[in-house]
Amino acid sequence: MATGTAVSLENVRKTYQLAEPVHALDGVDLEIPEGSYTAIMGPSGSGKSTLMNLVGCLDTPTDGTVVVGGQDVGDLDDRERTTLRGMTVGFVFQTFNLMPRLTALENVALPQLFQGVSRNERTDRARELLERVGLGDRMDHLPNELSGGQRQRVALARALVNDPTIVLADEPSGNLDTETEADVLDLFDEFHDAGTTMLVVTHERHVASRAERIVHLLDGQIERIEELDSSDASPRSSAGHDPDERTGSAPGANG
Amino acid sequence: MRPLEFGRLAWRSIGSHRLRSALTTLGIIIGIAAVIAFVTLGASLQAGLLGDISPDDQRNLYGWAAEPETEGGPLAGAQPVFTQDDLERVDELEDVDAAYGYMPISTQALAYDGELTPQSDALIAAGPPYIRPETIDEGRQFEMGEREAVINPAVAGQFEENVSVGDELTIVRQGGEQTSVTVVGITDSSEGLSPFEGFEPSPRVYVPTDPYYTEEVDGIGAGFGGDEAAEDEADEADPADGDDGDAATAEDARFLAIVVEAPSADEGDIDQARDSALAVLESDDSDASELLGDDLEITMQTSTELLQQLQDILDLLQNFIVGIAAISLVVGSIGIANIMLVSVTERTREIGIMKAVGAQNRDVLGLFLTEAVVLGVIGAILGTVLGLAVGYAGAWYIDIPLVYPYEYVALAVAVGILVGVLSGLYPAWRAARTDPIDALRYE
Repeated sequence: MATGTAVSLENVRKTYQLAEPVHALDGVDLEIPEGSYTAIMGPSGSGKSTLMNLVGCLDTPTDGTVVVGGQDVGDLDDRERTTLRGMTVGFVFQTFNLMPRLTALENVALPQLFQGVSRNERTDRARELLERVGLGDRMDHLPNELSGGQRQRVALARALVNDPTIVLADEPSGNLDTETEADVLDLFDEFHDAGTTMLVVTHERHVASRAERIVHLLDGQIERIEELDSSDASPRSSAGHDPDERTGSAPGANG
Repeated sequence: MRPLEFGRLAWRSIGSHRLRSALTTLGIIIGIAAVIAFVTLGASLQAGLLGDISPDDQRNLYGWAAEPETEGGPLAGAQPVFTQDDLERVDELEDVDAAYGYMPISTQALAYDGELTPQSDALIAAGPPYIRPETIDEGRQFEMGEREAVINPAVAGQFEENVSVGDELTIVRQGGEQTSVTVVGITDSSEGLSPFEGFEPSPRVYVPTDPYYTEEVDGIGAGFGGDEAAEDEADEADPADGDDGDAATAEDARFLAIVVEAPSADEGDIDQARDSALAVLESDDSDASELLGDDLEITMQTSTELLQQLQDILDLLQNFIVGIAAISLVVGSIGIANIMLVSVTERTREIGIMKAVGAQNRDVLGLFLTEAVVLGVIGAILGTVLGLAVGYAGAWYIDIPLVYPYEYVALAVAVGILVGVLSGLYPAWRAARTDPIDALRYE
């Protein structure tokens, strides 16, 4: 397994100026090693989505630093952030978010289109990935001709097309039934085993337990980090259970 | 991202809303079609008219006297004021090569080989140079003072047996009396030889003013120079034999119009010929001046100048249509802008997806702009096709040669692109600045 750091957050704060300031994230320190499989859990409003947006280079922190693929996201302008996002982050959404008028193949090839990769190269790469997710015979189907599980597999293939530093999955099985959920999560495991860094946001314990560790968020802060033994998938807590005590890979996380 | 890829994606989304896209482009189609149809018709009309003026005709000045400001082109409101004396004096001018009268003569019928065909307006009396050598297909010009005629193919072919050079034709005049004439030449086309006749093909018999017009005047007596002769008794009378007592003579014949031939088609020569001829005709000792008075004014113009008036009317109409088309294009642009805004809102989520997977703002901008431009260009192309079809149908219907206004086709496509860019700019900009976080959450 690789030893570098895919993403690191240092004392990250994100404040939304609504009627009164809302601290969506309030001093978060987190390091995601390359090749790791991390799950993020927490009730709604705990800052999961904000964390996803920051790691996904869709947003910048109000305070602190977010480093993705070795680059400080806060230092980049909109264009550079878009490029970084396109090259280093792969997204998998709960609602699949495929382009409705593009075929499975074209959807998978889309990210490379924006990177200026030639048509032939794109198509070859997309075909290869679709075969790996088991959709070799569905390439020319439109999303509405595919089942939910198939759509999510297309989305996973699309997330992987640029060989990203990290794959961000936001409730990836939220719209799937139990059986297809297992299929998709098996695929996640498969790509993780092949070296892909995975970050899954979920509120379901059995989805999170597929990861190597679970980061519990509460009120914009890391409540605790739970290390899991990936071989037997039994939970193993790495920190105390006092909710006031924040733990993380980096010290001094107090905001 | 390459333009081709933009085009592919734009085409995909246009294709998924066929009816909407078709209706959106309708404004552009109508605007462009109106311009193209009219330009095609105008160009064809122009070619049909100007194409008939041979280079040699460029040095002919066509003159007639009418009340000033009379509209309607050659011979509109013309009064017969020019006498043979006037013509001779103009003819003798140094700046003038030739001058002769022009007079349409009413007839009842033409007969050949015992076969009679009704014909009211075929007979035209003029000077020999009126038949320009290059327009003669066979034979020669008629000669002044001879009973000779040059006919056009429409006359030659209208009898059971074709009339050829050397044959005798019989002209039945308004009064019923008959005059014979020897065909000495046949022209190459049935279209008119000068703006006086108009350019549409029609049967015509060209004869010398002397004897055919002068003898008519001889017969009806003084005062009437018109072609309304009713009681002409002088059927085979000896023509143009000078004074004959009190009877009207050839000297009194007044021509409806005059043709003055300048030495060359050079503008200076033409202007000089015009000035000299007008000086003579308007001088107090000309016969014409007796009748001109304060009411009539002599107009003297070349074919080109006469056609210019028609051209001016065409241009005016064209500007009018272009104005309407411009309004249609503005309305069409608003339609495209409107539908693009709807499209941007509808596809907010798609914009979010594209941005999430690495689409730059300029990619999104380009994508929507391309879509608007494609709509504009499709409208322009369909409009051009429709316009050409209508223009050609019109040209075919009024029987004028078709002219392909290629430069306008190119212009139409350019306008389509411009309309697309202008109407797509704001919606595309709105799309480009969409926040991906909001867009991905958009339902």
